[in-house]
Amino acid sequence: MDLVLQLLFTGIGIGAVYALVALGFVLIFRATNVVNFAQGEFSMVAAYLMVVCVEMGLPYWLSFVLALVGMALLGVIFNLGVYYPLRHRTYLPVIIATIGASILLANSVLAIYGPQPQVLQGWFETPGIQLGPVYLDSQYLLIIAVTIALVIFNYWFFEHTMLGKKLQATSQDKEMASLLGISVSTMIMITFIYSAVLGGLAGILVAPILFVSIQMGSTIALKAFAATIIGGFGDVAGAIIGGLALGVIETFGAAYVSVPYKDGFAFLVLVAFLVFRPQGIFGERVAEKA
Amino acid sequence: MALLDIRDLVVRYGEIEALRGVSFSVEQGKVVTLLGANGAGKSTTLRAISGLAKPAAGEILFDGKSIAGLGPEAIVRLGISHVPEGRRVFPGLSVKENIMLGASNRRAPKRQLSDEADAMFDLFPDIRAFSNALGWTLSGGQLQMVAVARGLMAKPRLLLLDEPSLGLAPVIVQAVFRIISEIRRTTTVLLVEQNARMGLSVADYSYVLETGRIVLGGKPDELWGNEAIAAAYLGGHAKAG
Repeated sequence: MDLVLQLLFTGIGIGAVYALVALGFVLIFRATNVVNFAQGEFSMVAAYLMVVCVEMGLPYWLSFVLALVGMALLGVIFNLGVYYPLRHRTYLPVIIATIGASILLANSVLAIYGPQPQVLQGWFETPGIQLGPVYLDSQYLLIIAVTIALVIFNYWFFEHTMLGKKLQATSQDKEMASLLGISVSTMIMITFIYSAVLGGLAGILVAPILFVSIQMGSTIALKAFAATIIGGFGDVAGAIIGGLALGVIETFGAAYVSVPYKDGFAFLVLVAFLVFRPQGIFGERVAEKA
Repeated sequence: MALLDIRDLVVRYGEIEALRGVSFSVEQGKVVTLLGANGAGKSTTLRAISGLAKPAAGEILFDGKSIAGLGPEAIVRLGISHVPEGRRVFPGLSVKENIMLGASNRRAPKRQLSDEADAMFDLFPDIRAFSNALGWTLSGGQLQMVAVARGLMAKPRLLLLDEPSLGLAPVIVQAVFRIISEIRRTTTVLLVEQNARMGLSVADYSYVLETGRIVLGGKPDELWGNEAIAAAYLGGHAKAG
């Protein structure tokens, strides 16, 4: 039982990272009808930005803020350079452009920083606290706390502000939104900035647990992509539940079955969903978009 | 001077010329209807006015100023609100949210928009009870009410209505047209209709479009008597409705 609780904690922690990246996937997908294959690279770039800032001797919190500001900028550049020129084309050229951008980002970081994985320390000095039978790692606690805060913020933003409503309207019918005077290009810009910051946040939070490497982006993105499918593609709640579920499943799989096959469990679940419930957990609600 | 003046408007979709030199005007305070069969270019005309379709040639003057080539976001800010074909109510947003978003062409605090949307239900009592229902759960008639209410939230000087009667039961069509006769007290309306009887019944002036050209224009009582329109558009009510 103790082990189960411990694994549950770890699983939710790592799942929260997938959930944040998945949320970025879903928001961009809803706004542009395109899967952004560079979403994982946002996490990787942010982690490197963090490493650079910390190595320069800046305080951890300031590095954190600077890295997120950098991600917001990257969101702007990404929108203007990758999405905007192709916005009147079909989804295919845009998807290919995001794959190209993903390769560009990964190799730019490789060229600047080299292939050596970097280590980023966690936010807290104390490694964690013992709560009864469960050891709560401080970094996992931070991840879970930030994710909870962001989910609440996300709900408030989309359900209780006019800007959130305009973003939803834009994602549901761009032409109608423009007829009402909503600036569609501004809404899409905001979406890219928000998604880049979300992805960056996930990268910064998970960096002390994993190594900071060129590959971390694609690993996280694949899991997050699986999470969005499990949750129901295009569904915000589904992305979060899917991410958490995936984190828990792979953690338990690693503990009880086989550690080397940890990533395999995530994709096994993905395949099972694709075969038996391709619309995902919250699949029906995607139909509302029609 | 007319509120809206359209001169020799040409719109092309690729090779196809949807409008081939359309000219007409809409006077302030009037209801003008564009009649015509499917594919005559009625919706294209409205799309060109609201900025969704780019004119290839011709002029669109609103209040004396050229608006041809401006984007839809700019045009709705000038005071032209377009309620397009198919209602286009946002399916994942509530009725009230849809209506509140109609004011996106002007700056106003959320509380004020909420009050204005509530006031809009006085004109549309049938949808008041569905204030919190999501768009996709509504019937066609309710959707039409929401779409018109949303269009009015822009406080337009000119309201463009595209086929409000399409696909609605006769009793609902009459309710919609009752609302149009309410709206005309405060707003100039350019109405596109396939249902010529309804279109003529509310109009001060009507034009008939045929394959991208205006072929006829006149006051409703003149058009009722015109044999050409009677034969082409009024004869088969079932077909026209």
